Amino acid sequence: MKKLRRTGIHDNHPVGYLFIAPSILGITLFYLVPALMSLVMMFTDYSFMSKGDIQFIGLDNFRRLAGDASFHNSVLMTLIFLLTVPVSLIVAFPIAYILNQSVYWTKLLRTLFFLPYIMNGVAIAFVWMLLFHPSMGPINGALKMIGIESPPGWLSGTDTAIYAVCIIQIWIMVGYNMIIYLASLQEVPKELLEAATIDGARLWHSIRYITVPLVSPTTFLLLITGFISAIKTFGIIQATTAGGPGEATNVLSLYIYKTAFRYYEMGYASAISWMLFAIVMLVMLLNWAGQRRWVHY
Amino acid sequence: METTTPPVLSPGRQTARRAPQVGKWLLTFVMTALGLLLLLPFVWMISTSFKTPLEVFEFPIQWIPEHPVFKHHANVWTGTGSFTLYYANSLKISIFSTLGAVTFAAFAAYGFSRVKFRGREPLFLLYLSMMMIPPQILFVPKFVLFNWMGIYNSHWALILPGMFTIFGVFLLRQFFITVPQEISEAAFVDGAGHFRIFARIILPLAKAPLATLTILDFSWHWNDYENALIFLVDKDLYTVPLGLQNFVLENSVDYNGMMAAATSAMIPMIVVFLAGQKFIIQGIASGAVKG
Repeated sequence: MKKLRRTGIHDNHPVGYLFIAPSILGITLFYLVPALMSLVMMFTDYSFMSKGDIQFIGLDNFRRLAGDASFHNSVLMTLIFLLTVPVSLIVAFPIAYILNQSVYWTKLLRTLFFLPYIMNGVAIAFVWMLLFHPSMGPINGALKMIGIESPPGWLSGTDTAIYAVCIIQIWIMVGYNMIIYLASLQEVPKELLEAATIDGARLWHSIRYITVPLVSPTTFLLLITGFISAIKTFGIIQATTAGGPGEATNVLSLYIYKTAFRYYEMGYASAISWMLFAIVMLVMLLNWAGQRRWVHY
Repeated sequence: METTTPPVLSPGRQTARRAPQVGKWLLTFVMTALGLLLLLPFVWMISTSFKTPLEVFEFPIQWIPEHPVFKHHANVWTGTGSFTLYYANSLKISIFSTLGAVTFAAFAAYGFSRVKFRGREPLFLLYLSMMMIPPQILFVPKFVLFNWMGIYNSHWALILPGMFTIFGVFLLRQFFITVPQEISEAAFVDGAGHFRIFARIILPLAKAPLATLTILDFSWHWNDYENALIFLVDKDLYTVPLGLQNFVLENSVDYNGMMAAATSAMIPMIVVFLAGQKFIIQGIASGAVKG
């Protein structure tokens, strides 16, 4: 923060409160107050169906969580879904690396790879539902053509649905991660990269020992923000499978939605939503703790 | 970090110049092919929207239908459950939300960066910390709150909260603090107040970040599905994502219609993206790289 000169005029300007007032008001009303309400609600049996009769039940919601198989399943599914983050980073980095220096039409190519990210999630979901159609879809059509007799059921298979959803998510996220990597690579001194490409024999080494460490802060950032947004992902899963078949893709965000707005168990849903918050925090802590080993600033 | 920069490379560079160019074209070709492969789902979607039901799952895929059919697109836009209404709703919500969000964010960002007042830094930190709260925590209490406020099942349930963006304040503040303080001081000496400096000096300088925020914010509202799903009930209030979902529920085997509807849901974003590509990419990169 730039230090302001200490002439009287800069010391305290109450007009500043006027500037921030609307935003503070809005954030208080739509973030702070609801968050505090949720903190109270998680200790109640509040249900939208039983209006007016709200009981404080202490930690009962959390005891229930401990024995709730659906909840355990949703945590597991969320963790599997988190794998999309490192995978899409691993796919995105080589693309960004090549686009940064070894191709013509960089901007055009950047646009091509980025398009899936900005598209409407629900529309994307329906396209992939048809592409993944187990008996007639073009993906299984292609698999059958290359000799795979019984291709997977993708979104409609209990064992495969979560991975099919993951594939869609990776497809969406690769372009985003690529853009960020590209921005970060463009700040790496050109001479370093040029030296690397010319001496072909040591290309792999220069990537491994120069480029990857140089962009490691970006990787770290993409991992953290990627995990946080993956934990909260809702639309693409709700629109493709709605958590099914059975509970095969019922990640936490969907479980919370269903508990609250299908079964109207608002108190219990609040408790689960704070578990989601706890997982976000845990993932961040683990990342911060691990960063010293591999992030070079 | 330890990097041994090789000695000057110019001799090697001369000989190596021609070979990389062939290689560069080859890589360009490979990457273009890969990029197009990534976009095949979109091509398939558009192609299917012009086919007959029998041709949907034909394999091998006929990318350009022999006798293109236009009636699926016509169905999407006319008759009951026409997308015209969903488009109007989405536009209304996105425009009002974005206008509010950019205005309030600009004011707040100015306050947090260029006006000195007591408690500014702790307030800003508290403000930013709200970004950590996952939306899933807020849905249930917002549902209760909106019922109580009487805005549940109305567009206000999306527009009012949509007018506040913590990320936007952060993004604009990042820019505002880079404007030299001397500019404000000179204006002060000339007798200008903060509102004048804000409107006449800072805002005109911030056209690029304002454009970035406008485009990003608009696209979030346009694509927003979760809030609409939770807070809107009546069909005539539906936004494009909800309308699309409803279309699929009601015509579950009309795959051509589904793809026509999906195509039209994507068009506005393609237009916005191509028009504001520079700002979108800048905004996303600065938001993520600067954290």
